[in-house]
Formats: sequence, C-alpha cells, structure tokens
Amino acid sequence: MTDMLTYPDVTQLAVPFFIAAILIELMWIVIKRRGGRYETRDALTSLIMGAGSVAAGILLGFIAMGFFMALWKITPLDLGTSLGVVILCFVLDDLRYYWVHRFGHRIRWVWASHVNHHSSQHYNLTTALRQTWTGTFTLMMLVRAPLILLGFHPALVLFCGGLNLIYQFWIHTEAIGKMPKWFEAVMNTPSHHRVHHGRNARYLDANYAGVFIIWDKMFGTFVPELDAEKVDYGLVHNLGTFNPLRVAFHEWLGIFRDVMQPGLSLRQRLMYMLAPPGWSHDGSRDTSAAIKRKHLAQNPQDAGTPGF
Amino acid sequence: MALGILLILVGGGITGIAVLLHLLGLSKPATLQDEAAAAKAWADEFPEDPALKVVLCHDRHAALITTARGRGVVWPMGADTTARYLTGARIHPTKTGLRIDLPDFTAPHIHLTLDADEARAWPALMEQTA
Repeated sequence: MTDMLTYPDVTQLAVPFFIAAILIELMWIVIKRRGGRYETRDALTSLIMGAGSVAAGILLGFIAMGFFMALWKITPLDLGTSLGVVILCFVLDDLRYYWVHRFGHRIRWVWASHVNHHSSQHYNLTTALRQTWTGTFTLMMLVRAPLILLGFHPALVLFCGGLNLIYQFWIHTEAIGKMPKWFEAVMNTPSHHRVHHGRNARYLDANYAGVFIIWDKMFGTFVPELDAEKVDYGLVHNLGTFNPLRVAFHEWLGIFRDVMQPGLSLRQRLMYMLAPPGWSHDGSRDTSAAIKRKHLAQNPQDAGTPGF
Repeated sequence: MALGILLILVGGGITGIAVLLHLLGLSKPATLQDEAAAAKAWADEFPEDPALKVVLCHDRHAALITTARGRGVVWPMGADTTARYLTGARIHPTKTGLRIDLPDFTAPHIHLTLDADEARAWPALMEQTA
C-alpha cells in the first residue's frame, strides 16, 4: 500500500492565475462597461477571506489529513494512481462536493461555514475567493471517507478537490453569458452558478454542482438562469459590515445565541444547529421553503416554473 | 510553493487590486436615486414590512424608513445597500453626522453622513423606536 504519495498543492500554485484573471475581468468590465461590477471594499473583503481560507488550511489541514491517513491505514484497498483512477477519483470527488455543498445550504451547522461565500452582493472573480475559514469545524471531511476507504489515496483525493475548486473559480463571473449548449448541459457554468448565488425566491437552494451540473439534474436541484428574472446576488438578509472577522463568524455566533436561549427543549436546541437556515422554534423566521411558499402565495402564476 | 513567495503574492495581489479599484473610482458608495429607490432597498431586506414613509438624507446615501413595525435605516454597503430596524439602537453624533450602534453582530455600526439640520433632527425621529 502506498503511504507516501505527493501531489502539488494546486490551489496555492493557482494564486498567480487568480490574480491575473481578476485583473483581466476588471479591465474587461471597465473598458466594455458591462459584464459585471466591482467595488473596492467588497472585493477587498473577498480577497482577505480567500487569504484567510488558505491560512486556515495551512493551520488546520493536519486534522483532515490525519483523519484521512487513519482511514488509509485501515482500508485494505489501494486503487493506485493510474490516469483512469485519477479521472474516476475526480468525478466521484465532484459527487462528494455536490453533497457537501447541498448540506452546506440545508444544515445550519454547515451553512455557518459556507454563508460567507454568499455574503457578497457582487458576483465577480473575487467572489470565488470569498471562502470559509471554518470548514474544518463542520466535519464535512467525513463525506470524503468513502473515497479513501474505497482505495483512493488521501493525497489523490485532496489533489482532485483542489482541481475542483480551481475549476469553480472561473464560473464566478457575469462577463460570460452562456457557454455552448453541450457544455451547459454537462458542466457547471457561469450561468448555472449565478443562479446558485441568487437570493431571489426562485433561485434559492439550486445548482449545488462543483464541476458537473449533471448532479443537480440527477437529484432534482437544477434551476436554469432565466432571462426574465435577473439574479439578485447576496444573502436573504444582507450583511451590514465588511469586517472579515464578522463575515467569517457571524452565523456561528447566531447559532450559539439561538442554542443558548432559555426555555428551549433539547430538540429545539439541536434544530437550531441542524435544521435548514431560517428555522426557528417559534416560526418567527423563514426557511428557503417558507420564502418560496410566500412568493407563490403572492405570485401564483409562478407555480410549476423553474425553482417552484 | 514556498511560504514566503505565497505571502508576497497574496499580500501584493490583494493590495494591488484594492489600490487599482480605488484609483478606478470604484469606491463610491451607493446613492439612492429617490424615495422610491430607498423604499425598494428597504423592501429588498424586509419584503413583508413595506416602507410607509421615507426620509432621504441630503446626499441621498441613506434613508430613514418608517414601517408598520417601527423605524429602520437604509445605508450603503459599498456600491449596494442594506437595511436594519433601529430596535435597541444607540445613536451618537459625529463630526460628519451620526453613528448608530446596533445590537447586531452583522451590522454593529452604521455611519451616516448628514448635514447639520439632519444630524439634529434624525436622532429624535430614530429614538421613537430606539
């Protein structure tokens, strides 16, 4: 069994590409006066969140790696590192990403980590870098366990995860409209991912894909971008701060405050952690399902259309 | 990649992009065109509690909103806006207007640029619900 296997840290190697691509997108928007928007403090916050995410990975990465190596020691399977295995690992890791991402929107404990990625009201390449600092605490590393137990080396799994994140960088743009039909049918694209970042009732909880949009089509979460409904980016309740610490930790604090409320049952406290974002014991807040329901009550003509 | 090179790339990249954006004039705060725009900005955050009355400040960067549930404020978040109710707000005069401190981790301080008349009048309006 291969214990020592190393792949390059592709997300770190991609940093120069990220910077160059942001500058190209920015110039395109400034010169053409279309294709998106940039604002200084928003972009700065996104970039600091990205740098913080890399730092968190360096500081806390050993926890996930230790867990994966422990699994690797107990599994009797070793699929090796042939090209076919790498491709299979990439595809299966993308399926893993779909479910982690879906949990990230449907379980508040995981949403607390992921929310910062959606906290910008802009949608440009810097938004792609607005990444979590607290992913380790969600324990979503558990979802990778089956891959390692099946015989994919931890280093290979992490390499594929890095490639997945790099792919997702370029789809955070308004500068690209739609890709060719065949590409839109199979791959995640700027159009599909714009929908995912929408706060419109129609677009909530849709398009969780990383690389292949087929997962959303398979599992019933695909919503196309409609010309008739422009995507409104951001959170249902947008933040009133650019402070990266508040951006990174606000939902964790929200969970803590909700769980510590006096007079709640144990079940209610657990629901504040594990139910979908917006759940409340007294019904005073709205989940995405409630937002969609209320939208349909006011706009019954939308029933049966994408997203409803 | 060596950590030193990564730090230089990340630090230099962030600083360079931020400076460039500012020099390109992309730091201007959002302007609310009129009362209707302020009401829409409020509705974007609180669609079930529409604005009944809107007081736009002189430079149209912020608005005081009255709704059936109380008072709130719309203010710029960069090129966009956000809004909050003023429940529990503490209001402090500043050299350029007012600072509103809210018991809200996601919007702890709101800095409003107001002229002298607005800075005198708005606290009384706000304190009706503060």
